[in-house]
Amino acid sequence: MFEHVAPELFNGLILGGFYAVVAIGLSLIMNLTGTVNMAHGSFLTLGGYLAFTLVARGTSFWVALLIAPLLTVIVGIAVERSMMVPLYRRDPVYSLLLTFGLSLMAEEAFRLIWGSRGLPFSPPPELAGGITLGFMQFPTFRLFIVVVLAVALGGLALFLLRTRFGLRLRAAVQDTEMIAALGTNTQILYMVNFGLGIFLAGLAGVLAAVMFQLSPTTGNQLLMPAFVTVIVGGMGSLYGALAGGILIGLAISLVTLYIPAASEVAMYILMAIVLLVRPRGLFGEEGIFG
Amino acid sequence: MKDPSLTRERFIQGTAAGAASLAFGVPAFVPRRSEAADMVIIGVAEPYSGVYAAYGESETRGAQAAIDAWNKKGGVMGRKVAMSKEDEQSDPGVGVQKARKLVNQDKAVALMGTVSSAVSLSITGAANALGTLFIDSGGHTDDVTGKSCKWNTFRVCHSTWMETHATGSTLAHKFGKKWYLITPDYAFGHALSTGYQDVAAKIGATIVHEDLTPLGTTDFSPYLTKVLPAKPDVLLILPQGDDFINCVKQANQFGILKKIAAGGPQVELEAVWALPPEARVGFWGMEWYYKGTTVFGAGNTVAQQWVAEYRKKYGTPPTARSFFGYTAMDRILWGINEAKSTDSVKISKVLEGAHFQSPLLDTTAFFRKEDHQLMWPMWTGTIRPNGTPEDKYDIFDLIDKQPALAIEQTVTEKAAVCKMNYPS
Repeated sequence: MFEHVAPELFNGLILGGFYAVVAIGLSLIMNLTGTVNMAHGSFLTLGGYLAFTLVARGTSFWVALLIAPLLTVIVGIAVERSMMVPLYRRDPVYSLLLTFGLSLMAEEAFRLIWGSRGLPFSPPPELAGGITLGFMQFPTFRLFIVVVLAVALGGLALFLLRTRFGLRLRAAVQDTEMIAALGTNTQILYMVNFGLGIFLAGLAGVLAAVMFQLSPTTGNQLLMPAFVTVIVGGMGSLYGALAGGILIGLAISLVTLYIPAASEVAMYILMAIVLLVRPRGLFGEEGIFG
Repeated sequence: MKDPSLTRERFIQGTAAGAASLAFGVPAFVPRRSEAADMVIIGVAEPYSGVYAAYGESETRGAQAAIDAWNKKGGVMGRKVAMSKEDEQSDPGVGVQKARKLVNQDKAVALMGTVSSAVSLSITGAANALGTLFIDSGGHTDDVTGKSCKWNTFRVCHSTWMETHATGSTLAHKFGKKWYLITPDYAFGHALSTGYQDVAAKIGATIVHEDLTPLGTTDFSPYLTKVLPAKPDVLLILPQGDDFINCVKQANQFGILKKIAAGGPQVELEAVWALPPEARVGFWGMEWYYKGTTVFGAGNTVAQQWVAEYRKKYGTPPTARSFFGYTAMDRILWGINEAKSTDSVKISKVLEGAHFQSPLLDTTAFFRKEDHQLMWPMWTGTIRPNGTPEDKYDIFDLIDKQPALAIEQTVTEKAAVCKMNYPS
């Protein structure tokens, strides 16, 4: 029994952590501006493609792991400043439609630039292979992902909780008009906040390109679990996104062990239960969209 | 009272949408109405987005090559040929909509395409209702030429029965008789599973475990962690497209490919090229390959030139999907030319049982009259991870060739499930 359940539990935790990082990026953007970023998966894919291109041109994987998400942030901020700013004061449906359209256009753009065919992206030699954990052999790269996610989330927590800018961001989520009235430039808050969310998407994109595969659809395939994670964890809560991600990862892994064909619906069943019992999500606040 | 700003806003939105439509105009691949009247339009429904997009693109390139060749000869019935393309998104419902649109709106006289078996089946039904010829270029499930067969539907690629019976015995002989199946949970996967169960029963092999995976699965780790504890001799990987890449890549990450053999009914070059070299392993079925005397025959300069032109145009060699697209389109156009009509019944009658020598094969092939399956050989082999020094794309080592009659169900077996009911 243990030899079957332990690998699934361990794997589910890592998968959940991965979903959580994508979901936290989504949550950050949603919390401050009410934007449901349907193009989040496209930024994730872009991060993967940029890292692949950098590595193919001789850049070290370690450098690409940092540079590719930063380049993704530049593209993200350009999109945010040029297209999303005018929609911040409108109904969230407007930005939802815009980002949905952007995601369709981005998929076609990836196809035009990098082709329809998937691209081969290997981990660097030091992260290839596996480590024996006693109950199973586990890929080194997946363990590395845990470290990267922990560092990224720790850094984000420090930024939000221990810096003045983070304090302003949290205050803006509570009451944007008040913080604007107190003299804070909310446009910079919006921009940096969006950039943070996109950085996490770009980072997840590099990791996903190596762990899964790199094709124009990579990000969009990961977007739905991330949205479900946000709903389960509760809109407006970053802790909720983390908890939701881990719950979903565990649910998928354990259901796969016993009812493999139901693995895809497992997260939706979990979401339905959470919505029935606690409609705002596990850690969510009421009326996030006012 | 009307809100003027709202009215203006709506006006801007409306004009913006209208302007955008005008700017993009009619898609470039749809011939203008005046041209279309003089042309023979063939509707091509392929997945250009989603997990099978790369395959849809290859089939379309092959189909375009066939159109170019026919137009170079003067077209069919003295008319030039053009294709009208639609993205069926690997969605059976969308496939039906696109088939109707191609026939009713674009005036396509015949349809071809599809990769997902579920879409092949849905378009088979839609084309039958429309009374339009449909050649399934790339959806493998047995039902297309089995219990769901139709007088107007033909299939180019091999059936799942052919694929499993071309590979099953060799997999057992080479690696062992305890099989672990990872199967995509839709028509294609179910049909492959049935095929391998039949082979296993005939040769005394055992399927120690089978997991059904939803189409579009990204993370296969929950399935893969169960493989080694089940102690199989071979891991049979049945998903295709992006799912194949994800599954094989992750099986390698979990160290499975180093411990047990892997293989399956078909491997597609588009997918293997997307794998890192360390994950390019296994024994697989191959439906067509762009080089090798067992495919083209010795000294087939026409085929070699075709491959060279394709490579020059697209940068990569043609794949089995390119061959499917080429053959499906070529047969439609040959059928129209031979029948001297675009009437689907007449074309179907002409296609049935007609042997032809493809320039890209060393043997003749034909659509079997009883089930409309194209009867042509299939190959098996192993993967060369890094290609050859001269050609990095040349990653498949052909080992064996199986004749169609040895791997497909007999006419008698098919007659029990497939009933062709031509319109009276």
